[in-house]
Amino acid sequence: MTAELSSEELLRYSRQIGSGVLSREGQRQLKSSSALVTRAGGMGGPAALSLVMAGIGRVIIAHGGEMTVPDLNRQILGCEQLIGQPRAANFARYLRSMNKHVVVEAIDHEPDEAESAELARQVNIILSCPPTFEERMRLNRAALAAGVPLVDAAQWGAMGTLVVVQPGRTACLRCIYPSDPPFEEMFPVIGAISTTIGSLAALEAIKILSGMGRPLSGRMLMLDGHQGQVSLVDLRRDPRCPGCGDINREP
Amino acid sequence: MKVRVVIVGRGYSDGSVYPESLALPEDATVEHALIELAALLPVESALSATCLVAVSGRHVGTIGRHDNTSLRDGDELVVLAPVAGG
Repeated sequence: MTAELSSEELLRYSRQIGSGVLSREGQRQLKSSSALVTRAGGMGGPAALSLVMAGIGRVIIAHGGEMTVPDLNRQILGCEQLIGQPRAANFARYLRSMNKHVVVEAIDHEPDEAESAELARQVNIILSCPPTFEERMRLNRAALAAGVPLVDAAQWGAMGTLVVVQPGRTACLRCIYPSDPPFEEMFPVIGAISTTIGSLAALEAIKILSGMGRPLSGRMLMLDGHQGQVSLVDLRRDPRCPGCGDINREP
Repeated sequence: MKVRVVIVGRGYSDGSVYPESLALPEDATVEHALIELAALLPVESALSATCLVAVSGRHVGTIGRHDNTSLRDGDELVVLAPVAGG
């Protein structure tokens, strides 16, 4: 059942309901939706913020550890006063301050296989923004098993990538990366690309949840901020993919 | 034929390490182009087998496992060195 919007909410969202943006029904659908964002750092932070401001009914963020000084170049949910403080609880507090109509939940660790699977069953979409392929593949498996869309955002330096996975209909992350590329603990990154890719990830989620526009489903967007170049690639499903090869859904 | 080259992703922020285009024989395939490209890149910029490969916006696999698609003059060869930063 789609939640009704109060007059207060209609006023709040009045700039995003109308031509070129959301329908009123689309806004109601956002209110009825839940999203998981993990993690909530450079890209996940702005993604979660955009979802909360857009009026997604329930936003769950997952992020372990404490805020550090090097996080300050990109983790926009944090601030200097939070150095040494837990990220998840404080990020959630800030998000709640941005929209009282949204339920924000915080998980103070990176969900393992079982917890990811359980969370995927509770939400309508997953935004994957972690720093490792291991976590991305875990979220990919959880999304495939639950049949919920996955928006995967990744970054390095001044470039980023965005992929939208529709389980059983489009390529999954394992189709794209048959084996895990190497892990890099301290990757270079400029905050402007983090917020850009994170915001684009949120936009894709908003489109999918509200029915607005044409999502990037089955395509990869590559934004090379260093060279000022954007590439779009139509991704192919691998029929032998160990992740999604046996999953098929009607479009 | 001439094929435009775009390498993007981890370690390839500086466009000066790779050629903007490749001159290839008329019957060249993706495999030909990747071999040619590997020969032109400095050792420290070698492309890994996990890199995604696309031809004019169409995904053809990875460097380690791809369709050996025929290329056409004016195609764009995109190679993405995967990134996972969050």
